[in-house]
Amino acid sequence: MYRRSFLAASASLVSLAPGFSALAAVPKPWDGKSTPPLNNAEAFLKWGVETRGEDPKYLRMRWARFTAVVANKDATDDRNKRAFLMTPREHFVLDRNLSRAYEHAFLDIGFGVTISGPHIVSRMTQVIDVKEGDKVLEIGTGSGYQGAYLAYLTDKVWTVEIIKPLAERTRATYDKLIGEGYTEFKGVQSKNADGYYGWEEAGPFDKIIVTCGIDHIPPPLLQQLKVGGVMVIPVGPPGAQRVLKVTKEKGPDGEIKVTRSDIYGGRIVPFVPFTKLEGDTIKGTHNK
Amino acid sequence: MTQPSAAADGFGARGSLALYCAVGLIAGAIIALQISIMRIFAVGSWAHFGSLVVSLAMFGFGLTSAVMCISTQWFDRRWRGLSALALFALGPLAVASNLIAQQFPFNAIFLVSDPVQKWRLALNFVLYLMPFLAGALYLGVVFQKSQTIFNRVYFADLAGSGLCGLALLLSMYVLRPEDLILTPLVLWALGSALWFIAINERGKVFGIGIVAALTIAAHLVLPPLLDIPKIAISDYKGVSYARKFPDSQRVLEATSPFGYLEVYSSSYLHFAPGLSDNAAFNLPKMPKNAYLGLYSDSEGPSGVIRELPSEETAYYRYLPMFYPYLIKQKPETFVVQFGGGLSTALALAAGSSKVTVAEGDRGILNAFRNQKVLRDFTGDILNKPGVNVIDYDGRLYAASVRDRYDIVDLSLADSAGLSSPGGFAIIEKYSYTREAMANYMRALKPNGVLSVTLWNKEEPPKSILKLYATMAAAAREAGGQDISRKFFVASAYLSTATVLYKRDGFSDAEIATLRKHTSAMSFDEIYSPGYQPDISQQAKLLEDYRNQIFGSGLPQAGPGDPAPGAGPNDPPPPDVIDKPGEDAPPGDAPPSGAAAPEVLPSTQLGRMAWQALVNGTWPEIARDYVFDTRILTNAQPYFAAYVKVGDLPKVTDRLEILQDEWGFLLIWATLGVAAVAALSLVLLPLIFGWRTIFSRYPGKGRTIVYFACLGLGYIMVEVGLIAHFILALGNATISASVLITGMLIFSGLGSFVSERVLPNARRSMPIIFIAIGAILIGYGYFIDRALDAIGTMPYLARLFWCFVLIAPPAFLMGFPMPVAMTTLGRLGKEHMFLWAWGINGCFSVIGAALVPVLSTSFGLHSVLAVSGLAYLLAMPMFYAVLKPLDGARSLSPAAA
Repeated sequence: MYRRSFLAASASLVSLAPGFSALAAVPKPWDGKSTPPLNNAEAFLKWGVETRGEDPKYLRMRWARFTAVVANKDATDDRNKRAFLMTPREHFVLDRNLSRAYEHAFLDIGFGVTISGPHIVSRMTQVIDVKEGDKVLEIGTGSGYQGAYLAYLTDKVWTVEIIKPLAERTRATYDKLIGEGYTEFKGVQSKNADGYYGWEEAGPFDKIIVTCGIDHIPPPLLQQLKVGGVMVIPVGPPGAQRVLKVTKEKGPDGEIKVTRSDIYGGRIVPFVPFTKLEGDTIKGTHNK
Repeated sequence: MTQPSAAADGFGARGSLALYCAVGLIAGAIIALQISIMRIFAVGSWAHFGSLVVSLAMFGFGLTSAVMCISTQWFDRRWRGLSALALFALGPLAVASNLIAQQFPFNAIFLVSDPVQKWRLALNFVLYLMPFLAGALYLGVVFQKSQTIFNRVYFADLAGSGLCGLALLLSMYVLRPEDLILTPLVLWALGSALWFIAINERGKVFGIGIVAALTIAAHLVLPPLLDIPKIAISDYKGVSYARKFPDSQRVLEATSPFGYLEVYSSSYLHFAPGLSDNAAFNLPKMPKNAYLGLYSDSEGPSGVIRELPSEETAYYRYLPMFYPYLIKQKPETFVVQFGGGLSTALALAAGSSKVTVAEGDRGILNAFRNQKVLRDFTGDILNKPGVNVIDYDGRLYAASVRDRYDIVDLSLADSAGLSSPGGFAIIEKYSYTREAMANYMRALKPNGVLSVTLWNKEEPPKSILKLYATMAAAAREAGGQDISRKFFVASAYLSTATVLYKRDGFSDAEIATLRKHTSAMSFDEIYSPGYQPDISQQAKLLEDYRNQIFGSGLPQAGPGDPAPGAGPNDPPPPDVIDKPGEDAPPGDAPPSGAAAPEVLPSTQLGRMAWQALVNGTWPEIARDYVFDTRILTNAQPYFAAYVKVGDLPKVTDRLEILQDEWGFLLIWATLGVAAVAALSLVLLPLIFGWRTIFSRYPGKGRTIVYFACLGLGYIMVEVGLIAHFILALGNATISASVLITGMLIFSGLGSFVSERVLPNARRSMPIIFIAIGAILIGYGYFIDRALDAIGTMPYLARLFWCFVLIAPPAFLMGFPMPVAMTTLGRLGKEHMFLWAWGINGCFSVIGAALVPVLSTSFGLHSVLAVSGLAYLLAMPMFYAVLKPLDGARSLSPAAA
């Protein structure tokens, strides 16, 4: 029932939206402060259509996944919730996967690279606790979704991609979106290079996210991490990744100490079976 | 008894040489096609799917026989036309199916999440089934027409398959995996031409020549012309990444039966397996461009290390495999597996006075010995003074050598496995078994140290627990029950774990040195003599790990909350389960910074595991832990099959978090699919003909059991022995080829000779069945010792002795099928004749699927035991085969 009324509401919103063609561009660039409604689906949809000019179809899908992300505590504070709700994931998946843009699963984006599932992106971003003005380095630009997400948390994001055509494609995506009014993505600097060496000229960084496979943590990245900084690295096959958290501290003796831990603070967290989403509503899991 | 019509309008009473050669070549082409397709999958995507696709394609035989059985007369009348149709279609179908399938590859890592991939997998099944249907139709027609001379045709079928398998193996030296299909095409063309000569239709010889030329041309010319790939290498294979690096260059390509080897150079390749994080701040210079990437069958990379100048070798100290060199000066070192050469280079740089290094992979050995590019890059490491190379498995060398070593090193013998397109293969890891470890321990001098380093990238831990348990068991086997002072263990979270074993126990000074180094490298101490971690939370930790995988995950939500909406990537928040083991073990320095003191659960589990292993309470942990931690033995040499069999029904909704178990889960799924498909095919003629066609057939139920036993037993011996023979031959492809060739040729000979027992079948066959059963069950328990001994010989001698081992059971196993089939033919049981062939084929598929399930769950010896029992069960069933049709006279020698 709820789903039906939601659809009806959104349909009326679309028809009421001033100038349907405005969906192609952001009517008014984000001021870096305003926040979408976080507690009401209909209000969010209205806000998304009016202020962001976004397609209600994807706004609905985003809200549905948002409820799951919040329920799962992958995004707990308002800044991270805002970042999730404002990042248009549909622009960072392949056309053939558009209908699956907000599924929990990772998706293929070509070149042997995946866009991580929305939950793990939220969880990883939340764990590194990006503050306004933090310098964040991302190794493995990939689809660009993670970088875009970070752009709603800080205006200082650097991202490096090793695969040239992918780096170019994602840069073009950012440029196109900036052209459409997503001016917040101007805060994302990108380059095609070997991420092993980080981005020395831009460092040191408060936070580093590494999203590519490696058999050790690249020393240049540890060097470019500020003391007190945090690095996260997903380890393992895409569907079963564990996130390694690395912190860099200076001891009383002045010696630098690097500590490895997981993102759960040493707790064993249970796996939750696939969510059964019906429209925007969670209807238990597939084993219930 | 009257002779069937074949003699009048067929091959005559004895058949011709051209006929037998034709049957042999076509049967051989089918085997060669099977292996070629498996190679294409191994190189392009994932080997397990190759086996799956091929085994299901073999149902083409079951399907054909079921259809032929129902409409015997129809097929009998049209045998010339049908055989020609099948042969003209076989080659073109093989090429077309392969090329089309390669344009629609499926991606295993999205198999669970993306519905499109399932359809693509199904399309691959259907496409690759096509050529096998044509092949099965041809062989079905031939068998139908040769009922009275079946043993000879069967001999041709088996011997031809065996020899052509060997031909394919040899062609791997010259053909790349994507062109390997040319071998079955040539065999098909030759076989078809001989067939038309044999049945006096010489006009069609020219036709098949044209079709063959066009088919081969299509495979070679169409892909470049249409700009389509001959082989779809998954983007997620290791080599695909290397190819995308802007400066990457393939500096070496070598194809051989040992694998398709490629070596790439690129400044983007970085290796330092398990490097301490502290290297970033304390290591003066990290070597640049230090590695080439080595890829075998597109998998990898394994790092090939450059000869480092002395100012760069400090880097080695920060690697976990440096541990034993902290307490051994100028050691004589034995490196169990050369791999990419890192351990050998490190051994030299760490001051070893002598390094003995073994490598069982001839492809790698040849490349490092003979290819200039690798010799130059590595400073010709294998020919350095003080380096002694053993050209067979280090495991076997350690077992037989009289020399003793200060250090034996087995470090990260396999590639980093940075990418894995779909899961982890179930591969025999004989270097890590209890038997192998005990041999390494025995090869140590007094006070010598064995050092084993393994990846520790799993959470919850899986493989390292198996390693720990295996090494503890080996230590007890090699030198007494008290092992408390013999081990030192350290690990780094989601990186590597290193186990040091010292034959005569570590001294206090050595322990102090090792602990100091562990702390300096920021590694975690897991066990050292005298170390007493807090194990009070053990039960809760084990329970939490079980709940992590198999709990419902739902009860934690508050009453008003919606159910958590999570996928496998996204476990719920950290506050849902209390932190286990808050107390840090003695000796742990309080961590700096604001973070709460914590020991990660996996570290805690490792510490508990070692306490239990030393104190003898390990079985309790093994029982309660969520995953199977049984030790590796020569009978069960697998770092796989972690999901306990009882938990299998619970995994279906959480396949993605068990992605590294997909190989194991797939073998169960294959068995299920094979069983359902085989049984439906077997039932098909039953449903259609139980009351009609078969109503005159006495003992039909037992006849079915008889042929099912033969199908199951034969293939299980073949596939089971392939895994055993890797012990001696060191390579799965070679082992498979030797087994296929040896089994089929010797069974073919058996089939040929079986004519002689036909008159006395009632008396002689039971003896043969008992002999087969006894040999197989005996082999199950003793063959490993023989293979270990063979493994140390020169390669040609190894091949010879392997064939000698195969000969006795294979020869005898050649009897039961043709004796029974010829008997059915001579009794005029035509329908049963065809159906029997189909049942045999279907149960072959079930048997092939059953082998990995049995070997991972019960051990390889159980495979041979089950096949031995299948032959023993076939013995009483044989008498049902001898029963004449209702109303006909009993079979007598005169009638045959």
